[in-house]
Amino acid sequence: MMFSNDGFLIDQSSNKNPSQTHLFTSFPNSAVDLDDDDENDRSVENKINNNPSYGYNPSNEQHLSLPLSITTNNIKNEQLHIWQIEYYQKYFQIDTQQLLERLLASMTPQPNKSYFNSTIKHNPDLYGPFWVCITFIVTVAISGNIVTYFHLPDADFQIDFSKITLSAIFIYLYWWLMPTFIYFFFRYYIKFSILWIIPIIWLQWLLTIIASLISGSVLIVTFWPTVNYGRKHFSALSMLVILFIHLLMAICIMLVFFHISDKNINMKNETIILTTIISSTKSNV
Amino acid sequence: MNNDQNSFLPSSQPIDIIDGNITSTSNQNELSTLDEPIFETIKRDLSAVLRKFSHALIPRQSLTLLQQWDLWGPLILVTTLAILLQTNTTKTSSGMHFAEVFILMLIGSIAITINSQLLGGKISFFQSICVLGYCLLPLLISAFINNFLFYLPYKSILHIIRFLIVMIAFTWTMYASICFLGQTQHPNRRILVLYPIFLFYFLVSWLIILHTHSK
Repeated sequence: MMFSNDGFLIDQSSNKNPSQTHLFTSFPNSAVDLDDDDENDRSVENKINNNPSYGYNPSNEQHLSLPLSITTNNIKNEQLHIWQIEYYQKYFQIDTQQLLERLLASMTPQPNKSYFNSTIKHNPDLYGPFWVCITFIVTVAISGNIVTYFHLPDADFQIDFSKITLSAIFIYLYWWLMPTFIYFFFRYYIKFSILWIIPIIWLQWLLTIIASLISGSVLIVTFWPTVNYGRKHFSALSMLVILFIHLLMAICIMLVFFHISDKNINMKNETIILTTIISSTKSNV
Repeated sequence: MNNDQNSFLPSSQPIDIIDGNITSTSNQNELSTLDEPIFETIKRDLSAVLRKFSHALIPRQSLTLLQQWDLWGPLILVTTLAILLQTNTTKTSSGMHFAEVFILMLIGSIAITINSQLLGGKISFFQSICVLGYCLLPLLISAFINNFLFYLPYKSILHIIRFLIVMIAFTWTMYASICFLGQTQHPNRRILVLYPIFLFYFLVSWLIILHTHSK
């Protein structure tokens, strides 16, 4: 039983076949880059040609998940406009497995492999950065509220909804402005630079707990291979600028959301002192 | 009956009269609900909404919510929850207002729906908003219970009890929405669709937990 496009339940017993046509062999050869990490894929292709049965071989999944996602939607050949939802579907061709791999790779710096070339180049996606940003906003807003909850007595605390809006504005500005600046400086792939913000955002999230040295090294490592094409000192300078803005962003978030409670406590101490002084002077008079 | 009618006619010849009522019975097979009394319309719609509430609470049957979707239930639930969560603006915080909660839920539902459509889900826009709204029912019940628990004197245990109640309601809600919305996606992408739903309900449940009465 499957749901048709307008939401009605229809009986489709032959539902297995569509998912099987999206195997590796059904793609034309031009869609696959003949790079160095496709040597493995070519040997896999020969293996598939030998079996007539198009089963869901688990041994092929490892290679298949690298360049393209296993489940792909039918992309129509007509002209897709910007207001049709299918226009944006090509940015969302990603599976759970691929997404987890990309997230893990963005958190751990690997100086040997270029993160960009091996995972993102073939299939840029917009799901990852978007939902990582939203998660970040939600966690910052909630933890900011919790911090004030524990510092104030019960009677004074009310939920601060403006924290959510503030954090949302910060994060979205950061996410969109940084790639546009990078684009103008380097004139490279703008879609990929949106994705590069994933490593930066993930690291900001951990920054509240871990030191900032790790984040700096990952930034440098991810940017260095692509930036190496330019002049040496220009790339080094731009790296430093990016690092600086990244640190600034993290410090802003720390101050705004987590240290406001200190100011409140200080103010309260002062008011207590003032009231005792006033009451003592009044009683003296 | 023909004889009675013939006695009132001036002519003596029997004319073939088609007897019937003004409200002809042949139309009652079509659903012309324009003529029925309002009470019946309200009763029918209300019973449909209540039936869907029961399906959302005990998610065994997965068809009714999706095939006969309606937006009354979500509207009632979201409005009630927004009223319950209101607080005043104080010096230290800006408080929660009705419009903020309502818009948060609206934009959250729209974002989740667009996300599942972009990932290739086979569900229409309003159906998924309907399901997301109906699955809010356990969280609304927990908000009600929390409001009543405020009038008890034991303050420190109260925090833990409130937290536990809301967490139970949160897992109930997630289970219900997984039952309904999990089937509409390809298994490779199921978690990708369910994660935003998790975030959304997580945010709403934290709003309920952190809600306190103003003095």
